[in-house]
Amino acid sequence: MNGKNPVGLTIDGLKVQAAEGTNILRAAEQAGIDIPHFCYHPGLEVEGSCRMCLVEIEGLPKLELACSTVVRERMVVRTATDRVREARKDVLEFLLAEHPLDCPICDKAGECYLQDYYDRHGLYASRMVEPRERRDKKVPIGRGLLLDRERCVLCTRCIRFLQQVTRTGELGMFERAVHSEVGIFDATPVDNNYSGNLVDVCPVGAITSEDFRFKTRAWFLARRPSVCPHCSRGCAVVVESVTNYPLAKGERRVYRVTARENPSVNGFWICDLGRDGRHDVDDGRHCAVMKNGVPIKGLSWQKAVADVAASIRAVSSPERAGRITVVLNSRLTCEELALAKGLLVTGLGLDQVFFADQKPGSADSLLLTADRTPNGKGVLEAGFSPRLPGLDELAAARVLLVFGTHLLDHFGEGEIARALAAVPSKYLFAAHTGPLDRLVDEVLPVAVPAEKSGTYINVEGLRQSFVRALRPPDEAAPEGAILSCLASSLGVSLGDADAR
Amino acid sequence: MAENGFRLLPGDDESWRLEAYLRRGGYDTARKVLTSMAPADVVAEVRKAFLRGRGGAGFPAGVKWGFVPQGGAVPKYLCVNADEAEPGTFKDRLVLLRAPHQLLEGILITAFAVGIRTAFVYVRGEYARVAWRLEEAIAEARSAGYIGPHVFGTDFRLDVAVHQGAGAYICGEETALLESLEGRRGQPRVRPPFPAVVGLFRSPTVINNVETIATVPQILARGANWFLGRGLPKDGGTRLYCVSGAVRRPGAYELPAGTPLREIIEVHAGGPPEGRSIKAVIPGGLSAPLLTPGEIDVPMDVESLARAGSMLGSAGIIVIPDGTAMLDVLLVTARFYAHESCGKCTPCRIGTSWILKIVGRIRSAGGSPADLDLILRLADGIRGKALCPLGEGAAMPIQALITKFRDELERAVAR
Amino acid sequence: MSYAPAPGVLRKIEEAIGLYPEKSAALLPILHAVQDGAGFISPETEAWVAAKLGLQPARVREVVSFYTMFRRAPAGRSTLQVCHNVSCALAGAEDILRFISEKLGIGPGETTPDGAISLVTVECLGNCDHAPCLQVDGVDHGPATRETVATLIEELKAHG
Repeated sequence: MNGKNPVGLTIDGLKVQAAEGTNILRAAEQAGIDIPHFCYHPGLEVEGSCRMCLVEIEGLPKLELACSTVVRERMVVRTATDRVREARKDVLEFLLAEHPLDCPICDKAGECYLQDYYDRHGLYASRMVEPRERRDKKVPIGRGLLLDRERCVLCTRCIRFLQQVTRTGELGMFERAVHSEVGIFDATPVDNNYSGNLVDVCPVGAITSEDFRFKTRAWFLARRPSVCPHCSRGCAVVVESVTNYPLAKGERRVYRVTARENPSVNGFWICDLGRDGRHDVDDGRHCAVMKNGVPIKGLSWQKAVADVAASIRAVSSPERAGRITVVLNSRLTCEELALAKGLLVTGLGLDQVFFADQKPGSADSLLLTADRTPNGKGVLEAGFSPRLPGLDELAAARVLLVFGTHLLDHFGEGEIARALAAVPSKYLFAAHTGPLDRLVDEVLPVAVPAEKSGTYINVEGLRQSFVRALRPPDEAAPEGAILSCLASSLGVSLGDADAR
Repeated sequence: MAENGFRLLPGDDESWRLEAYLRRGGYDTARKVLTSMAPADVVAEVRKAFLRGRGGAGFPAGVKWGFVPQGGAVPKYLCVNADEAEPGTFKDRLVLLRAPHQLLEGILITAFAVGIRTAFVYVRGEYARVAWRLEEAIAEARSAGYIGPHVFGTDFRLDVAVHQGAGAYICGEETALLESLEGRRGQPRVRPPFPAVVGLFRSPTVINNVETIATVPQILARGANWFLGRGLPKDGGTRLYCVSGAVRRPGAYELPAGTPLREIIEVHAGGPPEGRSIKAVIPGGLSAPLLTPGEIDVPMDVESLARAGSMLGSAGIIVIPDGTAMLDVLLVTARFYAHESCGKCTPCRIGTSWILKIVGRIRSAGGSPADLDLILRLADGIRGKALCPLGEGAAMPIQALITKFRDELERAVAR
Repeated sequence: MSYAPAPGVLRKIEEAIGLYPEKSAALLPILHAVQDGAGFISPETEAWVAAKLGLQPARVREVVSFYTMFRRAPAGRSTLQVCHNVSCALAGAEDILRFISEKLGIGPGETTPDGAISLVTVECLGNCDHAPCLQVDGVDHGPATRETVATLIEELKAHG
């Protein structure tokens, strides 16, 4: 409540305060009262067509829509009377009459509005004996999305999302009456960086993603909040993984990344780049320490850190500042950056500390920023002046520590190889396999942001802390743990800057 | 024949032109109003006259006009609803064909009263040729200076354009009409806000039926009391009652509000043909629950029909003769609403279709009383829950038909 | 196979756009003008109209597919619309429909093989005092009898 003329009303006997202009549905939700609905979505304009959210308002003869009725002082609302229940049952019965019995094969099972409501209202037996409308069940609408027209309840959330949020309007409602159906104009399928929200926004299993279709069940997924690391917006996400079940080889852990509501950052949506970020968590990961490009099973990362410490100690104190070179990146959390500062700059007195990051891309008018790193501002706050190293600066090192693989975004593999060939001791700390692996002495596997706890500062200076959503695989460890361990090995005290 | 010698509709098809209209005093009233009355007084007079909307809802026009916020720089619009599509109704066609200047004069006065400068006449697509005549009348009026920048030499300006629909009964619903006019599917809007505040192009808008607007000049010409005297205290004036079906003289009859239904059918429309009798009467277009022969002494005004469990609606009287299979009427009714449902809201979209499926099945393959009960239940499922009155219009007549002809229907489907 | 309107149609289109404060309101008049010229509205036409009005093509298709008067495929030179609602049904519309079907050899929703006549059933045409009602090429005919319909069909075939 923002104090803008709060309105006092009663919902189901409960005295509720809501901001002026709030609709009954949202006010009830804020008070913990759930009013069933399909077409209403707080991020979209009110549609009022599903008719599921009808409630009783004292003094008014007809049932009224909770989604489109704005709260008024002393309004008395009842959401659980017999009359309201009957109305919901009627609407549900209509929807179910034209809905296929797809639950056993439908991705949405377990998180489907229709399923939840019919179960709550006990509508197990259908009175519909007439033939259902038969429609296409696998209409590609673009971006790997499939539309099942039999499941569609015509809530128009998908259409409205594309008209009101992305303003691209690829989906429309065609035909009329019971023949109405969602579709695309063939030459212009859905093609924008927010298409994944259509799956989130669909209350039933009408819109599914080829990436997720038939892969798992909603109830197997552990849903943990995190912050997207693929640009500097820092959208709130949910990382949905199968962590409690033994995985077959090659099976993914993260099945999908979905949007989490954050009014200060991303509202209700995330972009497809963030969703595709599930690949970042599972694809091409380093799970073991590598020596000379060969993964060594059973070798702990702490042992590898000992090797790094030994290499550093082998450089005499006066030479360290100029000959121990470190390349960091802006995916490190604020805590990790503080550790890095404490160890490398304050502790070891190094002055060859550089940053190599993913190159900027183009921003869009919604969420995606040009800066494709999550913590650029954190890097500045930690007191670094981030600069890409020159190849000559890399080659001049006696010990080189490279965090991340983004040197490859700026230099050719050959150039890097030549520069590194001159470096006596070189270590790579990376999450993903790649060409740099065989150019270094050892590779230590690191965690991706979803596997870490920490803080990022987003493009608008907002600090966002997150807790790890899943464990790093096998021998991978967060950079913070590695830096702590290295500091310990080197006898550098970090004081308050210990990673937790 | 209406009293006091005044008729909305000329009896012939020739006197629609400007010349003829001027000869019978046409545009004198508008001139008087625009040059000597205050807009608020015009609204007051129309309210006092209890002019009810003649499109179907029967809402008092003067009250509706009063909802439009006055002042402000935002343009206001008048939409004349010529999307006549309620089965059994053809009066607006006749007004457009025979009294287009009467309509234009009504538009002038209405626009002046509410502060409107642009009027659109939304004509159903199937009336394209009917609209040609209105277009000609507009051209005549424009040449004579009755439409345009300086009407009657005052600083009142008015633009009138005809806008054609494309085949959708739902566009007769006010907000669906606005959606259609704005170039979209004719799907009703959530209300509030109401068109008087947020209407066409988001501006305050008055939407009135053709006959309603065409009736306005006579109120300003002769006064509210005169108008009330021609009808009832809460339903002023005469109106056009359409009669079709099994009658000797189908047509539109201009009669005082409150004329008994039986009188309209038997005296004016000549009653059923030789040897036939009345089995049922639909009093106000297909959406009005039908009446049995014992119920047709009802006065034909908004309140009396509501009390009788039906409605005056569009005053489209359809006389159903003996020998008609009510199961066939049920099918035609169910088919109409299933076809015309816009599809936006759940209860109407699926309810009308489901009902049609049941009726289709029991008509061709037989059925049981339980099927009839289910249709009644489904109709109840639509009522009170749909986004617009089409849902009510589908459910009520079907319930009335089944309830009043239950025995016949049970016999008809039993096999 | 892209669409380009004939000069006369283009003129109507420009006129329509000038009538409204918002361009999209010209959509229905434009679709009528386009259909009057080309006989039906193809996807290429939809794309052209969308571009002309600055609308996404899906918006145009939403409208074309909603209204019964817009055709998305070529129809016969003339379309015989027969009302089958209450007053016309009471006056014998079913019989008229059967008669037309037999005479033309097609059912409602179909077109004669020579492409001359399409037959469709429609809802109330607003001409109930002349039941049973037909409308052909915008012209109302009623009360229809087997005789008047037979004559009408001959005329339609003759003007091929």
